[in-house]
Order: sequence, then structure tokens, then C-alpha cells
Amino acid sequence: MSAAAILVTDLGKAFGPRQVLRGVDLRVARGELLGLVGPNGAGKSTLLRTLLGLTAPTRGRVDVLGHDPARDSLAIRRRVSYLPGETGVYLQMTGAQFLRFAAGFYPRQQAGLQARLLDGFQLPLQQRVRSYSAGMKQKLALVAVLCPDVDLYLLDEPDRALDASVRFFLRDVLLTLKRAGKTIVLSSHHLGEVETLADRLEFLLDGVFVPSERLTHARAQLRQRPRVRLHRGAALPPGAREVQREPDGTLVIETDADPMAWLRSVPDGTVDSAEIGIPRLEDLYQLLLQHDRRDGGVG
Amino acid sequence: MIAGKTWREVRWMALAYLLILELLCIPVLLLWPEIYGDLQRSTLMRSLNIDFLKRIGEGVSDKREQVAYLNWCAVMLFFRSTNLVGTAAAVLLGTGLFAREREAQTFEFLLARPVSRSHVLWAKFWPCALCVTLPIFLVNASAIYWSRCIDLDLPAWELFLGSVHAASFVLLFLSLTTWISVVCRVQAHVAAWVGALAIVQIGVYLTQRIRPYSLFRLADFDWYGPILSGNTTAAQMFDPVHGPGFTTYVLAAAAVCYGLAWRALRRAEP
Repeated sequence: MSAAAILVTDLGKAFGPRQVLRGVDLRVARGELLGLVGPNGAGKSTLLRTLLGLTAPTRGRVDVLGHDPARDSLAIRRRVSYLPGETGVYLQMTGAQFLRFAAGFYPRQQAGLQARLLDGFQLPLQQRVRSYSAGMKQKLALVAVLCPDVDLYLLDEPDRALDASVRFFLRDVLLTLKRAGKTIVLSSHHLGEVETLADRLEFLLDGVFVPSERLTHARAQLRQRPRVRLHRGAALPPGAREVQREPDGTLVIETDADPMAWLRSVPDGTVDSAEIGIPRLEDLYQLLLQHDRRDGGVG
Repeated sequence: MIAGKTWREVRWMALAYLLILELLCIPVLLLWPEIYGDLQRSTLMRSLNIDFLKRIGEGVSDKREQVAYLNWCAVMLFFRSTNLVGTAAAVLLGTGLFAREREAQTFEFLLARPVSRSHVLWAKFWPCALCVTLPIFLVNASAIYWSRCIDLDLPAWELFLGSVHAASFVLLFLSLTTWISVVCRVQAHVAAWVGALAIVQIGVYLTQRIRPYSLFRLADFDWYGPILSGNTTAAQMFDPVHGPGFTTYVLAAAAVCYGLAWRALRRAEP
């Protein structure tokens, strides 16, 4: 049996002429919590589906919990709980019926965790799922996916449609699972939150993982780019250049010196608000794409 | 789990189908004495030029009332009710089996369950198969009671054999629809494909020169009449070597469609 929970070597997947995964290498240790981030269409969902054997790879080698998904997908699915990217819940069932249905496929459930999730999510389980909001459906799907007692959890955007307080609660639940020795791979758009939760972060861009040193460099560069909102009518003080103007008027700027020093030097009443050192996923994506165009390729 | 869920989804449609079959059965049997009288006086059926209608006309207006009644049942219970309503029910139940899962975005959830895809297919198929075949046997069994109300007999064994063949034919349509439901992503597309196929097949059946190529030729009066009158035995129904073996052909075609559905599901990606 492999020591790693997941071992992926040179994984490729194409849908017709479109290459979705282009030589992905990945190793996830048992008990590790891996965060997968990347823009839409980067290949995160395809990677998770491939791990489960729902999608056949075009090339490469995959080993999940000691099994090859292409040949022994069922053995993997018995030990893996998977949250699809599209919230898959049966609208005609009540919440309670759906949870019973989903639980019936696994021999063991984590009763304590289920009670905690149901208490935290406050779902109207006797109502039909049809009447649920998008967030409630996602919570229901999460209860169904997190409660089975399995070795590996593959979660495709578990925080989708959830508000901040619920995301915070979910983070605690995932940490509990991790402490119980479970391996978790989750994809997300919330870079900051995944970063605080995951043992390791992998950034998927155009079907390949961005090398960590490149990512570190890009993030360091972004830390030099504060987002500021200027007071109405105020001009950008000297020592900074406008990189981008967002629709709500927020400016992404680049400072000559340390951004904090620059911010301390600006006259009172010029800047209404500033955000420093918190790179956003979309900014990171744009910057990496700029690097790509400049360098002529990813990776 | 999946079978239970499928059963809960189709049970009311199955009940409606049973009631429709029964409602179609009762009047055509209870009104037989008046119909037979009219048929004896009329020469219309015998003067028809279309060969299969002519055979039906001759069969239902036979001078021996018991023979004529058996032919009437072959036409009304099986050729009309079971073939048309049964086929419609099979198509209605089958279209949504997988295409609806795709539309509701639950297909990926279903495929990710720790059960094999052959189990998923079987657990979804057999409750539907039961729903479309069991009413055929129940309604035809009730026909024995209704016949006694008009002082006529229906042979139970022959009626059962006719029901077996009718159920096989309906199963063929269910498995065909299931296959298309696995392949198509939209339920309406499944209905359109199967509906178009059924209409073409009916058109082919009504065109004398090409009738042998119609699927409905496998389950028409020319088969049900001899079964009900005892001229085609169970062995002949299933033996393609020494008898016509048409039921075996229908079941084999259903098995092929089921196999195609399994193959398509095995390769399906979310």
C-alpha cells in the first residue's frame, strides 16, 4: 500500500482538442489537508473527478489510497466521500430523507459530527429540499458528505454559497476531521480562508500546478500592491502608481517603497480605506497570467 | 437505496398506468355481446383491403362466439391497450431515469456513491420494469372475472402467456428508453428520440410493403391471436429453432438495449 493518500504523476486530461489537465504531479500524505485554488476552468473539478475515477485520464498515473481509479474506482469510492462542484441534492426529498438516502451507502457514520453539523447549520430537515435556498442546499450536501466515516474527503468548493460565519464554522469542522487523521483535499476560490486552513496550497492554472517559488514571488509582488479607496476628489499621492481601477472605484496601486511606509506618509483625508498584504485570488491569477504572457508559458 | 428511491418516484405513475389499463379493459369486455351482434350484421371488417385489418375483422366476427371473443381480447387487451399504453408508460418512466439526474445535477452525486455502475443501472431499472409489467398481468387476470360477467371464458394459461409476451415487448421499450436516457443529457431529448422512433415504427407497421420491418410486428394480432387460442404453445414462444420463438427475440432485443445502456453508463462522465 502506498504511504501517500494520493499520488498523481504526469496526469493529463483532454476533452476533445481542449487540454484541461496538462501533466499534473501531486502527492498528498495521509492526514494532510490540501487546498486547491485556481480560477474557474483551471481543472480543479476535473482533477478531483479523476481521483475518484469519475473521469478517465488521457495520460498519466493516479493512485488513491493504494488503488488505481481507472481499474478499481469502486474500492476508492468506498473509502472516499466526495462533494461535487454542482450541489447534487434531490429536490423532491425532504432534507431528512436526503440525509438518510446519502448515509445508506456507507457502513459507518460519524454521529457526533452529524449532530454538530445539524446544530450549526440549523436546516429545516422536515421540509422538501425544493424549498431550500442555495446556501441551505449546500449545507445539506455538506452534512451528507462530511458525516460518512471514510479515509479521504474530496470537496469541490465546499464554501460555495455559504456566508462568512458558516464558512468559519465549516473551517472548524474540517479541522476536527483533520485532527481525527482524515485526509482532505478541497478546492476553493477563497484564497485567504483556504490558506489559514490547509497544510499546503496548490495553485492550479490552465491545467498545471504553479511552482511554489513562482507563487511565492507573485504573492510577494502582490503584497506591494495595496488596494486603496481615495477620498472623493483626492488625487493619488506621490510615491505610488495606479495599476488597476475597479468598477467600485477601488484602486490597485504599486508603491515605490514599502506600502505601509507609503500609507503612513500620505496626507490625512486622502485615503478612505486601504487593504495591504491580502492578495486576492483573482489578482494572483491576473498577475500569473501576465507572467505567462511575458515568459511564454505556464510553469 | 437507489431502488427504493426509484420506486418512490414511479409508484404513482405505475398506479395511474394500472388504472388506465383496467379502464380500457372493462368496457371492451362488458360491451362484447352488443359488439359481437353488430359485427355479425356488418360486412365492413371483412371488406377491408388492408391485410392485417382484414384478418382482425375475420377473427373477431367468427361465427363461433368463443373464438371471436378470444380474437377480440387479442386485439383489445394486448394489441391495443398493452402495446400502446404499455409502451407509453415505459417511455414515460424510462426517459427520466438518467437524463433527469443530469438535469437536476445529481448525476455526479449518484456516480460518486460507493456502488458499481451496473448496480446503479439495475437498481433504477428493475422498479420501473416491475411498474410497467406487473399491471399487464393484473389487468389481464381481472379480464377473466369480467368475462364471466358476460358468460364467456378466458383461458388463464393462454392469457398468462399473452401477458408474458406483452410484458416482454414493453420491457424492450423500457430498456431502449433507458439506454437513450443514459446517452442524452436532456429528458426532453430522450422523449423526442423515443417518440420519433415509435411514430416511425407505427408508420412502418401501417405500410403494408414494409410492415415486417416494424417493431410492432413483433407484438401484433398475428402473435396474440394464436397464443390466446392455444395454437402457439409456451415452448413455441420461446424456441427460435423449432417454433417462431418471437418472445425470445423480443427479450433478446431488450437485453441488447439493456447491455447498451450499461456500456453507455460505464463510460459516462459527469
